[in-house]
Amino acid sequence: MTKSQLPHIDKPLAGYPHMPPKSNPKHEIITKAELSKFSIFPNCTIIWCVAGRGGLSLYSPKLCGSFPNNKIHQARPWPGFPTSKGLASFGDANCMEQLLVHCANAIESNDATLAQQILWVLNNIAPPDGDSNQRLTSAFLRALIVRAAKSGSCKMLAAMANAHRNLSVETHTFSVIELANFVDLTPWHRFGFTTANAAILEAVEGYSVIHIVDLSSTYCMQIPTLIDAIANRFEGPPLVKLTVPGVPKDVPPLLDLTYEELGSKLVNFARSRNVMLEFRAVPSTHADGFASLIDQLRLQHLVYAEAGEALVINCHMMLHYIPEETSSPLPNTNSNPYTFQPTSNPSLRTMFLKALRGLNPTIAILVDEDADLTSNNLVCRLRSAFNYLWIPYDTVDTFLPIGSKQRQWYEANIRWKVENVIAHEGLQRVERVESKSRWVQRMRNAEFRGVSFGDEMVSEVKTMLDEHAAGWGLKKEDDDLVLTWKGHNVVFATAWVPG
Amino acid sequence: MPVDLDNSSTASGEASVTSSGNQNPLPKSTAKKKRNLPGMPDPDAEVIALSPRTLLATNRFVCEICNKGFQRDQNLQLHRRGHNLPWKLKQRSSKEVKKRVYVCPEITCVHHHPSRALGDLTGIKKHFCRKHGEKKWKCDKCSKKYAVQSDWKAHSKICGTREYKCDCGTVFSRRDSFITHRAFCDVLAEERAKAQTQPQPQNQNQTATKESNPKPQTTDSSPSSAATPVSVSAPESGKVPAPAPAPAVPQLTSVISSSALPIQSSGKLFKSGPLMLYLPSILDHVIELPENPSPIMEESLVPAPAAAPTGLNGSCSSSASLGSNGSSCSVFASLFASSTTSASLKPQQPPVFIDLFQSVGQPDCLTDLAPSPSIEPISLCLSTHHGSSIFGTAGQEHRQYAPPPQPAMSATALLQKAAQMGATATNASLLHGLGIASLSSSSAWGQRQVEPENTSVVAGLGLGLPRDGSSGLKELMMGTPGFGPKQATLDFLGLGMAAGGSSNAGLSALITSIGGELDVVAAATSFGGGDFTSKDIGRSS
Repeated sequence: MTKSQLPHIDKPLAGYPHMPPKSNPKHEIITKAELSKFSIFPNCTIIWCVAGRGGLSLYSPKLCGSFPNNKIHQARPWPGFPTSKGLASFGDANCMEQLLVHCANAIESNDATLAQQILWVLNNIAPPDGDSNQRLTSAFLRALIVRAAKSGSCKMLAAMANAHRNLSVETHTFSVIELANFVDLTPWHRFGFTTANAAILEAVEGYSVIHIVDLSSTYCMQIPTLIDAIANRFEGPPLVKLTVPGVPKDVPPLLDLTYEELGSKLVNFARSRNVMLEFRAVPSTHADGFASLIDQLRLQHLVYAEAGEALVINCHMMLHYIPEETSSPLPNTNSNPYTFQPTSNPSLRTMFLKALRGLNPTIAILVDEDADLTSNNLVCRLRSAFNYLWIPYDTVDTFLPIGSKQRQWYEANIRWKVENVIAHEGLQRVERVESKSRWVQRMRNAEFRGVSFGDEMVSEVKTMLDEHAAGWGLKKEDDDLVLTWKGHNVVFATAWVPG
Repeated sequence: MPVDLDNSSTASGEASVTSSGNQNPLPKSTAKKKRNLPGMPDPDAEVIALSPRTLLATNRFVCEICNKGFQRDQNLQLHRRGHNLPWKLKQRSSKEVKKRVYVCPEITCVHHHPSRALGDLTGIKKHFCRKHGEKKWKCDKCSKKYAVQSDWKAHSKICGTREYKCDCGTVFSRRDSFITHRAFCDVLAEERAKAQTQPQPQNQNQTATKESNPKPQTTDSSPSSAATPVSVSAPESGKVPAPAPAPAVPQLTSVISSSALPIQSSGKLFKSGPLMLYLPSILDHVIELPENPSPIMEESLVPAPAAAPTGLNGSCSSSASLGSNGSSCSVFASLFASSTTSASLKPQQPPVFIDLFQSVGQPDCLTDLAPSPSIEPISLCLSTHHGSSIFGTAGQEHRQYAPPPQPAMSATALLQKAAQMGATATNASLLHGLGIASLSSSSAWGQRQVEPENTSVVAGLGLGLPRDGSSGLKELMMGTPGFGPKQATLDFLGLGMAAGGSSNAGLSALITSIGGELDVVAAATSFGGGDFTSKDIGRSS
């Protein structure tokens, strides 16, 4: 077997080795025919294993004395796979992404054999307790299996349907104290909290009644510090009205508390700070663009807008759950999932932003993850997600010890996200994160005008980042702030007023 | 020529002096008042640009006698007086000293521009170090790093003292964290409830001040269960992930009760009382107690992937440590002790595991175990992957003999299952490969090294089960006869598990390993597997 018969994999990038390139122009799809050219399957297995786990031992357990030290075939060249370090070389994110892409293609083209083969290889090179890239890949692998099992059109993989339910990620249901600790571990949420609170505080200066609509995926975890800051403000504490959507708990993090209980705690806390707080949870869901919440707010707007009440819309990693496709659901989920018909109907996401604008808020804060996971094409989505979700895996070592419970929760939540992006389609696929530029465009289309964050806010955020690992950074792009990890965009924060 | 500046001599070489007369004038009044708006200098001041080397230089003025260095030439001159060397203090030449301002040499820095120059030399030095220098001063307590030594010193004085403590006992180093916690902590609710029974206005104030006080509270701290701190930084190596899938419990107990069979047969050793009494209660918990262990093996295969919903079939490297140098009776007793514990095992009960660990972690337990016929603690050790550190306390030797942790393989079981259900020849071979591949280290199945003399003693069965269930077990089954004919009449089971990955995975592996043990028991073949266990035996006897 020669080099030329082996599948081509691009060389890994220098620099951040865990960071695959943004675009990979030269990816080849391994076809079944191609594969058979260089592999009757068992032989193929051997080859893969040579680079992977030490080859022949696979076929003869009696011989497999010591796996990692088996270097019989070490010298065999493998394009794009540096073999010098054996298994470690397989841990290259670039290579893993390639394999995932191949696998996704195989699944999408109903090539069960090829899919299985790649799954098997991936399974060998990406243990779920490996390094951050391996764990990342493992999450995608899992998601691909779920997808394959779901699709049912793959004859072989349909057999997994039974096992499929066991694949589902078990996400932890947090107690409120656990969640408070959890979101406090990393700037992932704190960045948005700090930025938004600073901007809100400035915007509501002088108002004696402040209505905060908290559209947040973190169950008001941002509110106590905001209340605390408001309580200490120069003019004295205002009356604060807090409205939250009673989102059905189907998206992690999950909380073991109802919004009512949460609200009473907040009211209690506010009172201890001499702030009068009115709390209201409006049953409402992202699936319909928070329609009932918007209706409620519209009503209130009629009554209170004249009374000089500040209306603050705080959107913290929540709006990306609003469907960005056309409002009509998929006709048939069993059919080819890529048959979305772009229609002239505006999406729920667009309509929601229009509705927000109609409320004429004093300020609207939009904080979300800076990635694009909305593509209808599985491979695009996979690449995009892979090139974003390495970050949470890469950061975790800086704040959670290996084996800790919180780490398991944390990683389960990422796996949940991966599965949602990869394995699901239609309304089930709720992790529809969009990039900052796209959100900015949406906000502008909805006739919002961006406002920039002041220097003091920036330094406040910087101080916050100083409390975390060195890899976190802050970037100012136009009016917006962007949290970065090792230079890569993670979360953006934008502030808007009616244009 | 201004004279009160130390670097005036070097400035000529390394600094460019420009007149700032045409710099854009900025209001000078704000410069001193607002700390966070540095760099609004006097428009008439001289702007001085120093090189990074100059800025970073310390103690540039060195005494030729004692080599003592000084930051300022003036200080060196004063010092020279002590050596009776010629010295010369420069005089202030005139009243109208031209004011000097300093710019940062870093081009991207806002203070690089003369309009944002800093007013004093120390200021620019510190600025340059803080913003563009290496942070080489590290606080021992909190690991925070500083570029300027004086910053580090200032921090060291207050580090750890400015912490925020909730009445529930949780301590926070950041105010934000404290406030968020405080808002949701049950302690606050209790306090508020209490407060409302008392005169309102007073209490409002009291509570308010009390909460805003960052110092630890001595009064009225009633730890609340809901407020149990989830410590972030504390290493959790000793803890075991709590949730245990339901199937694990019956399987565990069934193993224990079936392992009781040899006890009854060796009735001589069997101290009648408490142990007998335990049996029924154990059996109550047993959902399935098959007569024939083989079926349970088959059955246990099926739940294995099911119990690992994440698909992580945790790596299961065995590190059994069961040592006894006494009668097997006592060993059984210990087994029973553990069995009762396990019988009460339920999901979400980590303490049980922790207790197990603790008892295992104490070397005394192992030695105490032997002579006493009473029920002794627990040598049944379940540990997760990270928990292997626990064995460190029991004896470092254990660890060396434990097989290296094997990476778990998530999808193996699924692939396998899929192929079982409809495998073509090709796929069958894939599967074959899979199953065997899952046995990543056959040496984990080290043959028994129990010496014949040791027969009355021990026996630890360390099962290093591969992460993947079935084929591994098949290997086990096939391998079992070879492992050891009845060399030793050892009737003791050491159940050692070190499961990596999620607890679910660990437990699923437990199930499989139990399956294996059942088989062993049924075959009335007792053996010690895993050389580490044998070593352990050797050590304790």
